[in-house]
Amino acid sequence: MLRRLSVGLIVIASSAFAQVPGEDQVHAVTLSNGMQVIVWSDRDIPNVAMYNWVRVGSRNEVPGITGLAHFFEHMMFNGTSTRAPGEFDRILEANGASNNAYTSSDVTVYQNWLPSASLETIFELEADRLRNLSFDPQVIESERGVVYSERRLSVDDSQFGRLAEQVQATAYVAHPYSNPTIGWPSDIESWTVDDLKTFFKRYYAPNNCTVILVGDLDPKQTIALARKYFEPIPSQPPPEPIRTKEPEQRGERRIDIVAEAQTPLLQFAYHGVAGSDPRLPALELLARILTDGDASRLHRALVEEQKIAISADSQIEAGFDPSLVWFFLALPAGADTRAAEAAFDAEIERVIAAGVTQEELERARNQALADFWRSVTTINGKAQALGTYEVLRGGYARLFDAPQAYEAVTREQLQEVATELLRRTNRTVGVLSAAQLTRVEGEE
Amino acid sequence: MFACSFHVSTMAVRALIASFACLIAPLALANDGVKTPPFERVQLDNGTVLLLMERHDVPLIQFDARVRGGGRLDPSGRFGVASLLASLLEKGAGERDSLSFAQTVASVGGAIQTDASLEAIVVSGSFLARDRKLMVELLADMLQRPRLEDKELQALRARRIEFIRAAKDSDLSALLSLYGDAALFAGHPYGNPVVGSEASLAQITSADIRKFYEEHVGGDRLIVSVAGDFSAREMKRLLTDAFSKWRKAKASLPEVPAPKPIASRRVLLVDAPDSVQSYFWIGNVGVARSDPRRAPLDIVNTLFGGRFTSMLNSELRIRTGLSYGARSRFDRLHLPGAWQMTSFTRTETTIEAIDLALATLDRLHTEGLDETMLASSQTYVLGQFPLGLETAAQWAAQLSTLELYGLSTSYIDDYAQALNAVQLADTKAVISEVFPKSDEVLLVVLGKADALREGLKKYGPVEEMKLSDPEWSKR
Repeated sequence: MLRRLSVGLIVIASSAFAQVPGEDQVHAVTLSNGMQVIVWSDRDIPNVAMYNWVRVGSRNEVPGITGLAHFFEHMMFNGTSTRAPGEFDRILEANGASNNAYTSSDVTVYQNWLPSASLETIFELEADRLRNLSFDPQVIESERGVVYSERRLSVDDSQFGRLAEQVQATAYVAHPYSNPTIGWPSDIESWTVDDLKTFFKRYYAPNNCTVILVGDLDPKQTIALARKYFEPIPSQPPPEPIRTKEPEQRGERRIDIVAEAQTPLLQFAYHGVAGSDPRLPALELLARILTDGDASRLHRALVEEQKIAISADSQIEAGFDPSLVWFFLALPAGADTRAAEAAFDAEIERVIAAGVTQEELERARNQALADFWRSVTTINGKAQALGTYEVLRGGYARLFDAPQAYEAVTREQLQEVATELLRRTNRTVGVLSAAQLTRVEGEE
Repeated sequence: MFACSFHVSTMAVRALIASFACLIAPLALANDGVKTPPFERVQLDNGTVLLLMERHDVPLIQFDARVRGGGRLDPSGRFGVASLLASLLEKGAGERDSLSFAQTVASVGGAIQTDASLEAIVVSGSFLARDRKLMVELLADMLQRPRLEDKELQALRARRIEFIRAAKDSDLSALLSLYGDAALFAGHPYGNPVVGSEASLAQITSADIRKFYEEHVGGDRLIVSVAGDFSAREMKRLLTDAFSKWRKAKASLPEVPAPKPIASRRVLLVDAPDSVQSYFWIGNVGVARSDPRRAPLDIVNTLFGGRFTSMLNSELRIRTGLSYGARSRFDRLHLPGAWQMTSFTRTETTIEAIDLALATLDRLHTEGLDETMLASSQTYVLGQFPLGLETAAQWAAQLSTLELYGLSTSYIDDYAQALNAVQLADTKAVISEVFPKSDEVLLVVLGKADALREGLKKYGPVEEMKLSDPEWSKR
């Protein structure tokens, strides 16, 4: 929270949202080994959020090792040359801290939430695993089972996950964004210890990491701790850049899955923009106008009025490279997927042809601004936001420009983004229909 | 796409079911450094309680309004009335119809959530500080002047039924406590599935909704907590003007007896024929929110199934790789709710995993904790406590919860002291008194029945139903 906000800033912020307070409290340094450290002091509670953003994700994988970035994330908790497997978590929790981690197509993020009194212990633990990670063959096998269980939970036993994995794989013909982050089953079964070692050396170098610390901290002391624990870790040659650019899509692609499901699903994935693309704020507002809340267009038309869907959602991915803009429809049991697709298309064509109203733009802007504020009320939210902007959106300072960026979007820009991106030839459509229904239709 | 090391993440969370579960999750845990900031409590003549906490760090205001009652008062066979009513409150109220209400909220960047738990209907949300008058107007309209139109009910009810079907096509672990609670608390209001079932929702009419609203919603049942960037004096005036004239609920809040723990082990097998994994829930009746043994219980549960290195997760995930995760928790209500442990594993290793979970529970009873474990858990619970008490939203919810359960701020302010005072003997006592023995539990398994039926018989009598059944229990 922003306890040190001055009275003057409150007035500005409350009236026009022109400025995000706290920018002057952010301290950023690059250590001599290339590691970036960003510290944001926020002393509302006696805790710290410490996130290590590693610039590696499933886009860095090739056939045979899909899922390795995510598997590696699991292995980062499983022992070093100085500590047995399990010690990392045991020491961390005994010091009052909890942790988690996630992997996306672009990044792997390690998160610690700790009482500020344990800060130095956590620095030591993080430095140890970046420097001395080791791989116990028995632990690799057991962790393989854990990741397979995660895959069954999120993909194999989830119709949504199953369809999304196929849509993503279909949407790219060249770029490794086609890789499922959890990994293809045959690859999960086959990773080797050598794969892990190569990966560690290549991607877990300090010069490939950005460490964010937010909370009850003194910036000077914190940066001194970073120098003490992280700076001795040697840098490595930077990883090879991903060369492949996805060629422009020339026609709609489709994937149809027939499943023992009750609820048919439709997913639409359009090629969109990278995180650093200046069109991102306009795209975000467009997605809000289409799916954010009960007043949004797709919700009104498909859910409330035509009752052809039970929910309409969207998600914008914005990574290092141009990523996907997703729309998700869940349909009632027995619903006609073609009718739902036609209804969706009609709304997309309407926004391309006629744009949005000023009222809709204002509404989306206010939603975006208020949500932006909600997102930075916690130390977690701030650490996530700083990392996202620093690593994926061209620098942390842009976080503080976000409100102005939303303010600057015009109706014309929204229509341009819709026209350019939401073309049929730029999308992959995924349909998951219920086995029973399909049989009936086939007999007719 | 996205994958996590511990928590389950999906790309688009549409788990309606999960949102209800959140309301009965245990309170976040406490630390030395956290004391309740000053707030004002006002009781209006009609019984409405206002709780006001100024926090001027960001220009937002968060509210959390609860109407005592909730899903435990649903008429038998019509489960889901309280929950549907909660959703209908924002489908048209006062001068605004459903669309105009949604547009008004969105146009100022506001956010409103409606929900029901077993013991309350909850309306919460946040607005920019500049929109505080509108916020109070909308809240007052929702609670006092909801339109409750039949066409909105029809649409919402149909969609709710479809959401349940969609949930059955998704991560089945989200459904475990619905089956578990319905079977464990059969015949007791705590067994009511608050979200309703496919069958019960189909029965609900406008008359049911209106009757519930007349009988169980009113000023005497209302708690309104507001935290954020406002002047308490002005907010008190706005809320007093808005709520002081509101009628009382027509019915009194019925008392119910405490649920009885089950004494011998039995099994509910829910057939999910296409599932590649089995999802299991093992539980019995636990403790009430006000239970004085809270600190030792939290310490023990943290060690048993409440954190990554817990006994359960160490066995089922870290040591054996059988599962992506295993955990345990208490549902703390006015009366004792469930204590439960849950996990999942591939169909072929189901019995091995259940055996291991039960053996781990046995080990808790036979071995208990040692000083190192106790100290680790104390530090962990203390260290994580402030993270649940950081924002205005968390404080508004916290104030409402304290009021709802008749607890004082000592529940927060003295928690660190209580944790630090816990001795090994206290943990031994609560393990014996509260944590069930492995032969005194209900075991619920969702999975491929043909592959599991025989193996499950060794645990006790097996009752069977299908995932596609339109109810959460056989009754």
